[in-house]
Amino acid sequence: MVQRLKSWWKSLSKLEDQPVPERDPIVNSSLAIPLALSSLLLMLSLVWAFYEEGWGLRPWRVYQDEFQELFVSALEKKKPVSREEEQAILASSGYQELLARLRQAEESRQSDLQSLEQQEQQIRQRLAILTRPFTTARSEIQAKRYEVETASASSRESLARQLDELRQRNYRIEFPDGPQDYTFGELEEEFNALKAEQGHVQQRKVELLRAPARLQRQLNEYVNNRLAGLTEVQLDGLIGEARGQGIYIRQIHNPEINLVDRCESCHLGIREPVTLTADEMGGRRVFVSHPRPELLALHDPETFGCSPCHNGNGVGTVSVTKAHGKYKHWLWPLFAKENFEAGCLQCHQNDRHLRYADTLTAGKDLFQYRGCMGCHPRDGFDTEPRETREVQKQITDLFAEKQAEQLKAERLLNLGDRAATNEEANQLYADAQAVTLDVAAIDARVDQLRVRADELLLEVKKPGPNLKEVRMKLRPEWIPRWIENPQAFRPDTKMPQFRLSPEDVQAVSAFIWQSGVEGPLDRQPQGNAERGRQIVESRGCLGCHSVGEGEQQHGGNFAANLSRVGEKANYDYLVRWVHAPRRRTLPYCPVHARDITPEDYAGQGLPFRFDLEYNRCPLGDHSLQVQNQNVMPSLRLTEQEARDIASYLMTQRHADAQYAPVPFIEDQALFDRGRFLVRHHGCAGCHEIAGLEDEGKIGTDLTLEGSKPIERLDFALLTHDAKKEGWYNHKGFFENKLRNPAVYDQGKIKEPLERLRMPNFHLSKEDIDRLTTFLLGSQESVVPEQYHFNPSDQRADVQAGWVVVKKYNCMGCHEFYAGQPTSLVDLPQYQGDGREKLPPNLIGEGARVNPNWLARFLENPALSREDVHRNGVRPYLDLRMPSFDLSAGEVQKLVKFFQALSRQPLPYLPVPQEPLTDRELVLARGLFTSQAAPCLRCHATGDPRTDQTKTAPNFALVSERLKPDWTRRWIVHPEIISPGTAMPSGLFREEAARWVFALGRVPGLESYPGDHADLVVRYMFQFTPQEQRRLTGR
Amino acid sequence: MRKFGIFLLTIVSIGLWVACGGGAESEAPADTAAPAAEAARRVDPATAASLQGKVNYSGQAPQLARLRMGADPTCDKQHSEPVYAQDLLVNDNGTLENAFVWVKSGLEGYAFDAPTGQVTLDQQGCVYLPHVLGLRTGQELRILNSDPTTHNVNPTPANNRDWNESQGPNAPEKIKTFARQEVMIPVKCNVHPWMKAYIGVVDHPFFAVTGKDGAYELKGLPPGTYTVEAWHEKLGPMEQQVTVAASETKTVEFSFGG
Repeated sequence: MVQRLKSWWKSLSKLEDQPVPERDPIVNSSLAIPLALSSLLLMLSLVWAFYEEGWGLRPWRVYQDEFQELFVSALEKKKPVSREEEQAILASSGYQELLARLRQAEESRQSDLQSLEQQEQQIRQRLAILTRPFTTARSEIQAKRYEVETASASSRESLARQLDELRQRNYRIEFPDGPQDYTFGELEEEFNALKAEQGHVQQRKVELLRAPARLQRQLNEYVNNRLAGLTEVQLDGLIGEARGQGIYIRQIHNPEINLVDRCESCHLGIREPVTLTADEMGGRRVFVSHPRPELLALHDPETFGCSPCHNGNGVGTVSVTKAHGKYKHWLWPLFAKENFEAGCLQCHQNDRHLRYADTLTAGKDLFQYRGCMGCHPRDGFDTEPRETREVQKQITDLFAEKQAEQLKAERLLNLGDRAATNEEANQLYADAQAVTLDVAAIDARVDQLRVRADELLLEVKKPGPNLKEVRMKLRPEWIPRWIENPQAFRPDTKMPQFRLSPEDVQAVSAFIWQSGVEGPLDRQPQGNAERGRQIVESRGCLGCHSVGEGEQQHGGNFAANLSRVGEKANYDYLVRWVHAPRRRTLPYCPVHARDITPEDYAGQGLPFRFDLEYNRCPLGDHSLQVQNQNVMPSLRLTEQEARDIASYLMTQRHADAQYAPVPFIEDQALFDRGRFLVRHHGCAGCHEIAGLEDEGKIGTDLTLEGSKPIERLDFALLTHDAKKEGWYNHKGFFENKLRNPAVYDQGKIKEPLERLRMPNFHLSKEDIDRLTTFLLGSQESVVPEQYHFNPSDQRADVQAGWVVVKKYNCMGCHEFYAGQPTSLVDLPQYQGDGREKLPPNLIGEGARVNPNWLARFLENPALSREDVHRNGVRPYLDLRMPSFDLSAGEVQKLVKFFQALSRQPLPYLPVPQEPLTDRELVLARGLFTSQAAPCLRCHATGDPRTDQTKTAPNFALVSERLKPDWTRRWIVHPEIISPGTAMPSGLFREEAARWVFALGRVPGLESYPGDHADLVVRYMFQFTPQEQRRLTGR
Repeated sequence: MRKFGIFLLTIVSIGLWVACGGGAESEAPADTAAPAAEAARRVDPATAASLQGKVNYSGQAPQLARLRMGADPTCDKQHSEPVYAQDLLVNDNGTLENAFVWVKSGLEGYAFDAPTGQVTLDQQGCVYLPHVLGLRTGQELRILNSDPTTHNVNPTPANNRDWNESQGPNAPEKIKTFARQEVMIPVKCNVHPWMKAYIGVVDHPFFAVTGKDGAYELKGLPPGTYTVEAWHEKLGPMEQQVTVAASETKTVEFSFGG
C-alpha cells in the first residue's frame, strides 16, 4: 500500500514538474503507522464504548441473566419437594374424604345432569330452527305496524288489513319430528316458552352443580392452606414467568417521598413468592429473598422502596459500590448488617419497643439503662424533667392570662355600670360573664397541670442512686475504690469509669461524702442469711438483679449485681433500703431547691412526716419530692424479711477484700474541688446530689446525631487514619468512640479539664453494635411526616405504654408477647414443675381483665390496705408483684396499653350478666362441687389453711377482675389463650351448637337446655363471699 | 484499500467478540447439589446382637415420702394402705426399679419398622401406672382414667407438642403420639399434684424400663458401637460406650451411687 502511495505521489510530481524537496516529511516519512495506531485507538474506544454502553455501566444486565438461570434451576429443585408434599396432602384422609364427597356429589347428580343437558339440547335445537322465521316475521310485522302508525288516513285501512293478514298468516316450521303450523301469535308464544324453559333448565343446572363446585373450592383450599410453599403448578408458572422476563431496570418510584429505587435490578429474588437461600442461588447472596418477608408485608416496597430503610444510593446502577452508597460523595452509605435496624427509626422514633427490631430496641434500652440519657439529651428519653419545666411554664403563663382576663372582666363590668342604656349595660355584663367563665376554665386547666406536676415528681427517675444518702448507706473506704474503677469491683455495672487522677478521685469522694445528709437510722438486729438467700432467689429480686459472679452469675441485668454488696453497705441502712427502697431521709423541695429538714417542719409547728400522702412543703403550698428517684419498687416485705435479705447481702463479699482507710474523705479543703469535678463530669445527670439537683445535661444532644455532617464529628488526629482505613463515617466514629471514649484525644496535647469528658462504659462488641445502630438511626428522616408511625388511634396508647413498661422493667418478669425472654424463665428454679411458679404472662391481658380493676391492682397489687405482705391475685406464688408507686398517669398509660394491645374499647362498660334462676344456681353449684369438676382443687378459695397449696386465683375475684366474654373463652379453650397453662382443656365439649360439661354426670344438668359454659360464667360473675363459704363448707 | 477495510472489520469483530464474551462471562454457579442420601440401613436379624444387664444402686433404700391424698377424698378412699412416692424404688437385690435404659447414639442411619401396638398409661388410685414408660416416636399412647375423679394429663415436654387435657371419670381413653425423640417427658396432673409419670420417647426400638429385678435387655441390635444411657428420675442420666460384635450378647451394668 505504501508503494502505491509513493507511485501515486511520483505521478503527481511528474505532472506538476516541480523540484522535490530533499527531506520533505510528507514524501519521506510514511503515515501508515500513525494512521494504523489512531485507527486502532479509535477502534478500541469504539469497542470500549460498546462495552460500556452494553455492560460496563449496566452490570445489572449480567446479574439479570445470571439470576434467571439460577432462579429457574432453584425452582426446578423445589418442584420435587413440593410435589412430594402435595402428594402427601392429596393422600391425607382429610383430602380423600373431601374428594370422596365431591365424587359422590358429582355421581349422585350425574343422571339428573344428563337429563337436564338432554333437555337443554332439545330446546336449543328447536330454538335454532324457530328463531330465524320468528325474528323475520316479527320484523315484518313491526315494520308494517310502523307504516300503519305513520300512514295517512286514506291508506291506513288497507295497511291495517295487510298487518292483520301478516298476523294471521300461516308459518310452517320444519322440526325434525315433522312440520308444524303456527300463526304469528302462536309462534311468539312458542318462542317465549322455549326461552323460558331454557332459562329454567340452566338455572336448575347451576343449582345442581352448586354443591360440587363448593366442594371443589374446599378441595383446592385444602391443598393451598396446608402446603408450606407453592404447588408444582404455581412453581411452573413462576418458571415460565422468569423465562419470559426481559432485561430491564427494575424501579420503584414514589413521587410522594421523592423515592427512586433501582435496587431490585440486581436484588431480583427479594420479593419472589418463594424463599431463596444463598445455597439455592449458587452461593450468590445478592439473589436471596428478603430475610423478613413479614416486614415487607407491613411496609409495601412499592410505597416504601428499599433505601429509606437500608440507606444507600437507590438510583445507582453502575456498580455495587456506587449503588450501596459506599463512596465519598454519598452521605448515607448502606447500613452494615449489624446496624440495619437503624433504618426503622426513620418512621419509628416513638416506638420505645419495636417488634422485629431487637438490636435497635436493645440500643434504646442501653441508652436508657446505662445512663447515656443522663448526659445526652435525646427526644423520647428522660422526658420528665423537660415536661416538668413545660408544665411549670404553662402554669405561670395561665396565671398571667387569668389575671389579664380578670382585669378585663372588671373593666367590662365597670363599663356596664356607666352604660348609657340598659340594653348596652346588659350586653357589657353578658360579655363580662363570658370572660369570667374563661377564668373558670383557666382555673380548671391549672388544677390539671398541678396534678400533672405532682405526678411528674413521682415519675422523674435517675439512672443512678441518690448520693445524698451515702453517709448512711455506704462505708467510706469503699467510695474512692469504686469511683476510681467501678468495673474492677463489678464488671457489668452501669457506672462508667471517668478519667480522674488519684487526687481527683479523693476530691470527688470527699465532696460526695460531705454533701450527704444524715438522719436517724434504727439499729437492726441480725437476720437469717440463709432465709434471706431463699427470699432473694424466690421473691422476684432476680427479675432485675443478678447474684453470683462469673459462671455463677444468674438473674436479670437491669439492676446491679449483688455479689459484693457486703463490702460496701451499712447493714442498718440496707435493711431500710430493702424494706422501702424509695424512702428518703429528707424530702426535697423543688421550689426552695433544697432538702427540707425536721427543723423546717418544727418551725411551722408541724410533725416531721412526709410520704405520698403528706407531700406538701411546710414552707409554702407546693409539692415535695418525697421519694428516692430510683425505679426499684417495694416488694412489700416484712421487716424481718428485709433483715434476712440484708443479712444475706452482707455475706456477699470477697473474703480477701482489703480497704485502706480514707482520712481525706472528711477533709473539707477538698470539698470545692470535688464539687467542681462532679459538675464538670456531669455526675448529677445520673445521681441526685445535694446542691446539684437542677444541673443540666452536659453532653451533646443526640437526637439527630446520625445525620450530623461528617465534618462536624471530630475525628481529631485520627482523621487521616480513619480515611485511610475506611472508617471515616458515622459508624466508624460511633464505634470507636463507644469502644474508647477517649480515643479522639489520642496524640493531642490537652489540659486535663480540656479532655473529652465521656467516661468509659466498657461496652461489649454486641452492646456497641446496639448503641451504634440506635445512633446511626437517629437522623433527620428523609421520609415525610405522614409516613412516620405516629398513630392517633389506640396504637398510640401502645407506644406510650411501652415507655412505662421499659422504665420499670416489667419484662424482667412478665411475657408481653410470645417468645419474649424474661430474666426468670431460664433460672433453674423455674424449670419443670417450677414453670408454674413463674409470674403470669401478660399476652392478651387487656382482653382478660376489667381495666378499672387493673388500675386498682397496679396501684395496690396486694388488693388490700391492711394485709399488704402478699399477692392480691396469686397468693400461692412465691414471687411477689411489687408496688411501684406509679403515678396516676402511668397507671392510666399501662391500663390503656393493655386494652390497646388486645384491641379492647375504652371506657369499659361491662355487659350485665343475666341473674341465675334458683334452678340454675343449684345446677351451677352442683357442677362446681361435683367430683368430676376439678375447679376447686386448683383455684384458691380464700381459706388460708388450703390456699398455700393452690395454684390458681380465687373465684371471688372473678366478677370485678375479669371480663365475662374472656372468661367463657378461657374455660372452653384455655390452651389457645395461654399455651402451656396449668388450666386443662377439654372441660366442655361442643354439642349441637352449645358447650356442655364433658367430665361427668352432674344431677339435673343433662336436662338443662342452656349452654353449660355460659352457666358457669354467670355463676362465677355472681359469686359472693357467702357463696364461697357455702361451697367450701366453712 | 480493501485490505485495510478487511483489517478494520477484523478488529471490529474481534472487539465485539471480546466485549460480548466479557459480558457473558459469569462465574458458574457452584455445584451445591447434596450427595444422594445414603439409603437407610436395616438391621440384619442374622447378625443381631443384644445388650443386657442391671441397673445397680449402691446406696440405702431411702424412706419414701408418703403421698397425702386428703385433698381429694375419692383418691384417699381407694387405698387401704398408705401410698408412697415412687421416685427412688430400690429392689431387694440392690438394683433400681423404674430406670430407663436406651441406646442414645450409634444407630444413626438405620431405619426400623413402624411401631405397632399401643402403650398404656393408666390413672388408677390417683397414681400413674406405670410410673416410667417408654415408647417410640409416632407410637400410640393410650391414656385411661380408671378413677372416679377427674384428672388432667399434662405432659411438659421440652421438644414435643404441649398439651394439657382433662379426663373425667369413665371418660373415653385418649390416644396420643409424640413426634420427636425425648428422654424423658414428665407428665403430671395439676389436680392431684403428687401424680407424676415419665415418658421416654425414642425413635428406635432399643429401650427398656427396669422392673423388680432391676434388669434390662435390648435385643436385636446391629453390631456396632453405641452410647447406652440409663436414666433415673432422681439420680439423673448415666451413659456408657459399648461395642458389640455380630450376634454377641454383652452385659453392661450401670451403677448409681447412693
